[in-house]
Amino acid sequence: MKKLVVIGAGMASGRMLEHLFDADPAAYEVTLFNAEPRGNYNRLMLSPVLSGEKTYEEIVTHDEAWYADHKVTCRFGEKVTGIDRDRKVVIGEKGEVAYDKLVIATGSNPFIIPLPGHDLEGVIAYRDLEDTNRMIDLGAQPDAKAVVIGGGLLGLEAAAGLRLRGVDVTVVHIMGHLMERQLDEAAGYLLRKSLTEKGIKVMCKANSKEILGEDGKVRALLLDDGTELPCDLLVMAVGIRPSTALASEAGLAVGKGVHVDDQMVTSDADILSLGECVEHNGAIFGLVAPLYDQAKVLANTLLGKPDTFVNKEVSTKLKVTGCDLFSAGDFAEGETREDIVFRDPARGVYKRLVLEGNRIVGAVMYGDTADGAWFYSHIKDATDVAEMRDTLIFGPAFQGGGTADPLAAVAALPDDAEICGCNGVCKGTIVDAIKGGAGDLPSLKAQTKASGSCGTCTGLVEQLLELTLGDSYAAPAAQPICACCDLTHEDVRRLIKSKELKSQPAVWQELGWKTPNGCHVCRPAVNFYLLADWPLEYQDDLQSRFVNERKHANIQKDGTFSVMPRMWGGITTPDELRAIADAADKFKVPTVKVTGGQRIDLLGVKGEDLPAIWADLNRAGMVSGHAYSKGLRTVKTCVGTDHCRFGTQDSTGLGIKLEKLLWGSWTPHKVKLGVSGCPRNCAEATCKDVGIVCVDSGYQVGVAGAAGMDVKETERLADATTEEEAIELTTAFIQLYRENAKYLDRPYKWVAKVGLDWVKERVVDDLDSRRALVERFEISQSVYRKDPWADHVENERKRYAPLADLTLEAAE
Amino acid sequence: MDGATDMTTRPFIEVSEVWVPEGDRLVLSKGTYGDLAEFASVSERESFARGEGLPGKAWDEGRPVVLKEFDGSYFKRTEAAKAAGLTAAVAIPVFAGTQLKAVLVTLCSDDDSRMGAIEVWSGEGNMLTLEDGYYGAAKQFEFVSQHVHFQRGQGLPGGVWGANTPLLFRDLGAGYKFVRSESAGRAGLTWGLGLPLPSPTGRPYVLTLLTATGTPLARRFEIWDARAARVGTANEAVLIDGICAREGSLYDHDTERRIKAFQGPIGQVLGTGLPVVDASAAGQHGYRTLVALPIHSSREVTHVVAWYC
Repeated sequence: MKKLVVIGAGMASGRMLEHLFDADPAAYEVTLFNAEPRGNYNRLMLSPVLSGEKTYEEIVTHDEAWYADHKVTCRFGEKVTGIDRDRKVVIGEKGEVAYDKLVIATGSNPFIIPLPGHDLEGVIAYRDLEDTNRMIDLGAQPDAKAVVIGGGLLGLEAAAGLRLRGVDVTVVHIMGHLMERQLDEAAGYLLRKSLTEKGIKVMCKANSKEILGEDGKVRALLLDDGTELPCDLLVMAVGIRPSTALASEAGLAVGKGVHVDDQMVTSDADILSLGECVEHNGAIFGLVAPLYDQAKVLANTLLGKPDTFVNKEVSTKLKVTGCDLFSAGDFAEGETREDIVFRDPARGVYKRLVLEGNRIVGAVMYGDTADGAWFYSHIKDATDVAEMRDTLIFGPAFQGGGTADPLAAVAALPDDAEICGCNGVCKGTIVDAIKGGAGDLPSLKAQTKASGSCGTCTGLVEQLLELTLGDSYAAPAAQPICACCDLTHEDVRRLIKSKELKSQPAVWQELGWKTPNGCHVCRPAVNFYLLADWPLEYQDDLQSRFVNERKHANIQKDGTFSVMPRMWGGITTPDELRAIADAADKFKVPTVKVTGGQRIDLLGVKGEDLPAIWADLNRAGMVSGHAYSKGLRTVKTCVGTDHCRFGTQDSTGLGIKLEKLLWGSWTPHKVKLGVSGCPRNCAEATCKDVGIVCVDSGYQVGVAGAAGMDVKETERLADATTEEEAIELTTAFIQLYRENAKYLDRPYKWVAKVGLDWVKERVVDDLDSRRALVERFEISQSVYRKDPWADHVENERKRYAPLADLTLEAAE
Repeated sequence: MDGATDMTTRPFIEVSEVWVPEGDRLVLSKGTYGDLAEFASVSERESFARGEGLPGKAWDEGRPVVLKEFDGSYFKRTEAAKAAGLTAAVAIPVFAGTQLKAVLVTLCSDDDSRMGAIEVWSGEGNMLTLEDGYYGAAKQFEFVSQHVHFQRGQGLPGGVWGANTPLLFRDLGAGYKFVRSESAGRAGLTWGLGLPLPSPTGRPYVLTLLTATGTPLARRFEIWDARAARVGTANEAVLIDGICAREGSLYDHDTERRIKAFQGPIGQVLGTGLPVVDASAAGQHGYRTLVALPIHSSREVTHVVAWYC
């Protein structure tokens, strides 16, 4: 009988032995080495063992009896120290074994990031039963804490298992969303939500800096932003590397893994290899399906039967109870690719198919994976899906019908979700009133006061009517935000607040967006709503801004930009003027213009010069004038009491104070202010978004003026007796506008919709409300009151570099 | 986990009954009573209005109810229960949305040696605390349980709450470092089944059945997943976990076990949405009684859990 030696008793070699013994039990006399002191167990099921949902005994694939039945000589717990190919022997710690054929199945080694402190006690990988038992032991400690570095399959399974053991777990992931290799951002959002519901803390975009220790033992993980995450155990689950040392020392051809051909033979004809240690046609392997294919091919090769290994598409599943996800193929966006998206916010379902031509090339699903196998087979078979394209997303059972439910987002709201913020009316109250007979908007308003004040929740209330009354309710047509979504701007705003949606993926999923990531219409609006409502939690997304806001300059019709520094209250100095003149000379600015907003505009600056001209102006103490933004533009003033014989108050001083308070804030549309020192109104304050006219008795604060396509005089918000009060009223009004208005509505349009009385109730009459508005504005300004020029000069300079000139190369 | 399971030990649960609504009352649909024929005959003649007796109370309050003392309580069959040696009962209402489908009642007898636990946990905020529980002779474990709480995702009850799915845990006292493992180990508790109990009150409830080797509450557990999101539109269920004192682990990663509606007792639960108690079906696996309980979400049966004793 020929002698077969197998190094490594993992799942791949175990499956290979099963095929071998099934086909010809007498072909080989087998010796099996394993460094672990045990035989083949289902390593994929380590996570249920960790969580307590399985015992080790339940995941053993081959027990002692199986090895005995097949007369396998087991040398478990013994490391192989070398392979002598000339003598055809394997050298173990306890002696040599001769082979006719040798199979190297050494698997992979976990990758340990060489962070300072990675060798501390308590820093482990997650690979085998020993690691699992270390984590299980941690669960026995009261108040145990663990940090898992890595938000991929393995890391999340480790985290979920530790959590079920009672451990306080934080997952630290360097990428923007979890399992980014298998999931897109939307599915990653749902996964994160589900893990958070299990009590697992998840930190994405988190960069580990150092592992801190105490007495040689891990104490905490330090992130590069200074955050310290205390832990008793640190699990690194950032990836695996093929274990090739033995093969390499034996002189076999090794690249990323041990090189094998289609028959699983290495560069030595008597040595074969399979599993996570091999490299086949440049590919290495981490999922089990291709390893089982390799096992079959290798067994046939050993038996002299022809067989060929072909690497196929694989699908992924995560084994965390309650997290149903499926991913297969390629789901990156591309110009030649189209998406079909289905979302059901009520059930937490997201499905996306990526099509190229008439073929499915990728599928990502979360929450409903029943059709995963069906889509997977179409990917593998490259099926032409043109005929069933319209209903494809609904799976095999729905070929022929079915549409997404536009009311799903509202249906998903709990009864205690606040629908009407003004009057504190929740969903349950409204639904009860509808069931009680209030069948239209006016009667609902009368009974519950819902939508009776500012009216921004009208859309939601109408949807509740439709949801509760079904077809018997005929809703007035409302304009949805764009084709991506059935909800109006006002609905989206209200739902972002009531459902506490704090990221774009959360909005897309929970409000049932029909596209993967929104479009050029909805993204800027949603980006603004999120940053206005959650200034501390949400990070402004530059990619969701119009070009002027992305570039922090107004693009001109010839492709150049205008640069306009801020002049606080229209006041400047000789030094500032010199710096502006120098910059205009240095960068050959063709046009220098004094604007209606009392500042100086440098027109015709090249895109690539922007950082440099900003840096020069910054050095002279000037900052961006935000002349391009949906935010505070200027505060126009007259000279006031300092110089004018009619001036009643220090209008210039007040203008400067206001501008210094409000600058940098993002608003639904641009905001312009004016402060006039007397009713002669030289600063034209009475046609501004907020206009203050100084009088002997104090300050007349007017709002909602306009002097553009529409011309409209301001309406009197209130009379203030002190400068502080005028500032407070202005700030509160702007914050109320920020929190409630539709994106791209100027204040005069918004006030026309909600009514000046509604605004006055919150800004003038109710002092607590006014102060709360000012407080929230100040919280937001703690993030946004900064100069974007300085920030871009420092961090984003390369974005302004000109694209390579390819015309020359093309000509050549 | 061998074939020589001791079936002479009296089970922890003596009686299992399914009460179903008929008009405005609950009537007995089926019960397994073992040798307790007299108690069976009293029960067959009984019915409960909403709020009346133990099943009526569970219906009315929309939550599981544990009753550990019959004397002087609202329990209606006190005399017959005492005569049968039954000392405690747990009523588990099965709701599909707001509609009551049935009430499952289990009755236990008490002695100094029977270890095990049937617990009801309820959630508020981010915490689950013990609403009530029946522990037999596991007094120390009962004391500990009354003084712990679980956050979402923690331990068996918190895990069930966090994942909103039934879970089956192994080695509660030994290999598995159960949150209450020390006293669980002393009480000889081995396996634990936890399941979410949807309530029309909206409050989260989790039921746990913890079994000990010597005096098993159950000797076989099964969890079947019937969500359309998992099995598609066919009215079917797949076994996602299970363990048996005779057969060992019931779940095989590579071979899926799937049943159709109305196929066997699990299929019966899936098809009707009602719990099943059955003696003959349990006999196939060598046990006396099978209890299979559906878990509903809105109108859909999402899971079926079964225990055999």
